[in-house]
Amino acid sequence: MTTDLGTASENLATADTARRTRDRGSRRTWRGRDYGLVILAAPAVVLLLVFAYGPMAGLVVAFQDFNVADGVFGSPWAGLENFEFFFTSGNAGRIMWNTLFLNVLFLAATLGAGILLALMLNEIRGRVTKRFFQSVIFVPYFVSPIVVSIFLQAFLAGPGGRGGLVNDLLSMFTLPEPSWYTTPGPWPWILTVVKVWQLGGYMSVIFLAAITAIPEEVYEAGVIDGASRAQMALRITTPLLKPTAAILLVLGVGRIFYGDFGTIYAIIGDNGTLFATTDVIDTYVFRALRTFGDFGTTAAIGLFQSVVGFVLVVIATLVQRRYARETSIL
Amino acid sequence: MTTTETARVRTAQPSAAAPRLEETRRRRRRHRPEPFTVASYVGVVAFGLICLIPFWMVVAGSLTDESVLSQSGYSFWPDPFSLDAYTTIFAGSRVWLSYGATIFITIVGTAIAVTATSGIAWVIARGLPWLSKPLAVFAYIPMLFTGGLVPMYILITQVLQLRNSWFAVILPLVVAPFLVFVQVSFFRGTPQEILDAARIDGAGELRIFFQIVLPLSKPVIAVIALFYAVTFWNEWFHALLFISEPAKYPLQLVLQNLITSVANAADLGTVSAAPVYQMRLAMTVITIGPILLAYPFAQRYFVKGLTLGATKG
Repeated sequence: MTTDLGTASENLATADTARRTRDRGSRRTWRGRDYGLVILAAPAVVLLLVFAYGPMAGLVVAFQDFNVADGVFGSPWAGLENFEFFFTSGNAGRIMWNTLFLNVLFLAATLGAGILLALMLNEIRGRVTKRFFQSVIFVPYFVSPIVVSIFLQAFLAGPGGRGGLVNDLLSMFTLPEPSWYTTPGPWPWILTVVKVWQLGGYMSVIFLAAITAIPEEVYEAGVIDGASRAQMALRITTPLLKPTAAILLVLGVGRIFYGDFGTIYAIIGDNGTLFATTDVIDTYVFRALRTFGDFGTTAAIGLFQSVVGFVLVVIATLVQRRYARETSIL
Repeated sequence: MTTTETARVRTAQPSAAAPRLEETRRRRRRHRPEPFTVASYVGVVAFGLICLIPFWMVVAGSLTDESVLSQSGYSFWPDPFSLDAYTTIFAGSRVWLSYGATIFITIVGTAIAVTATSGIAWVIARGLPWLSKPLAVFAYIPMLFTGGLVPMYILITQVLQLRNSWFAVILPLVVAPFLVFVQVSFFRGTPQEILDAARIDGAGELRIFFQIVLPLSKPVIAVIALFYAVTFWNEWFHALLFISEPAKYPLQLVLQNLITSVANAADLGTVSAAPVYQMRLAMTVITIGPILLAYPFAQRYFVKGLTLGATKG
């Protein structure tokens, strides 16, 4: 998640700031003493070339009948067979649907929770109190998916297969106690709750920063007109959060075709009974690679995913820019 | 009903910031708090508790005797109290090895990451048309388009032969484009006059960077170092893919193995009748402990980093 955030905001910023800073160097070209800059940039450039651009080039494997002995350069070409194999395997529809459905749920829920939490935090008086609560709800962001998985087991499974805390609660009201880890139905919603728990605070930090930037006069005008706190939150603050929400939405849409491997694999693992509702592209690819060692097909899925993701982020950015221009809030 | 809620609002006030508190008290006396404000306090406190309860449950469970834990499940208070899990875990050598692995990955990874990220960020921030713009694009493209799992797997295992090396976990993660741009936006605020003065005095680019820019940028370096450190501490995906020797497992992978198979818990300790469920929870506490201990001191940097990244648009 961390790495997603800057994309669009920086995207918007670069054009503007680049214009501002360009004349600093007065349009000069290479000078002998600039070698220092080359040295400074070199480590990151090399690392990105190898570990970001290298794998992009490695996607040619998608068109090969790859085998380890012959390597990337020696394996025979397979045309579009790998893609065909995936799309006719019968799994493609299900895992693509799961990926999209889960991501839409996660995105809507975390954005909604982030805005709501930021609005509520904004009501809290006292800088220290506010910062204290902000820190508390930000904590879950810092634990790994594995730890989240163990937390979830405490609530849904309990030690030794007896019911967890949720079932203890259900039994108090003599409600039926489902065996969660063998019932695929509720899992999209369970995972959504997990995502809100983990990212709600993170999102609220971003939205609260945007709220802080709203000029005080707007609220003074609201007070004069006799608006209640609830009306000000709903009619003044929320509309002014649209640009921030739009940026986060674009980022989310760009990632919508990437399953959340970390969270889903840590929680579901190889529990096949839950695959019907939780198996996403990334977990499928991982298992296919692990169990069948099928490099070609899995690379083909990866390429397909990257291309769709790229197209989506470009469309989303264009739509967002157009929308931003029309409403002139950005 | 209203009185209890008002009381809760009052008690939530800290004792610090006394004048401000006086002021709000006076305001409170004039108007009763609005329903939305009261609901907000209730909502924030509730969400805060939901965030913290799982941590408490796991800590309490890790201190509860195995027999009771597997009989009656988790409780809010460890009864009967037992340190069995911790003594068993720390008596074995595995936990020390995996702690060592995690610490190595975190420290070496963060050091490489901060060096590489600061370097490229400064060159982008310098604003030279022939260098900075192409580098910005170069760092931006990986955010849009990735090679995915399979080529990365082939690269690490076949081309670079890094299987079972901690560097297989470190190197793919050392340049996070998001953090590059956070740092660029900070570097752009470096006062131009100081740089010009140094240039007139004949300082080269390297000298300017190390002796002027870096010392002025301590806050942002703290921010990105912390983000990287948390990433490396929590990293398990690349470890899962590339590290198969149990002696080299980082903490998160040990923990993952405890989830997939209870039997793995027995490997951790020395005794045969290991308290497996209790140990799973104790291992969780051991894994998140350092992050939770450092969090109160570090959290403002995270907030600052996010704010830098989010509002500079």
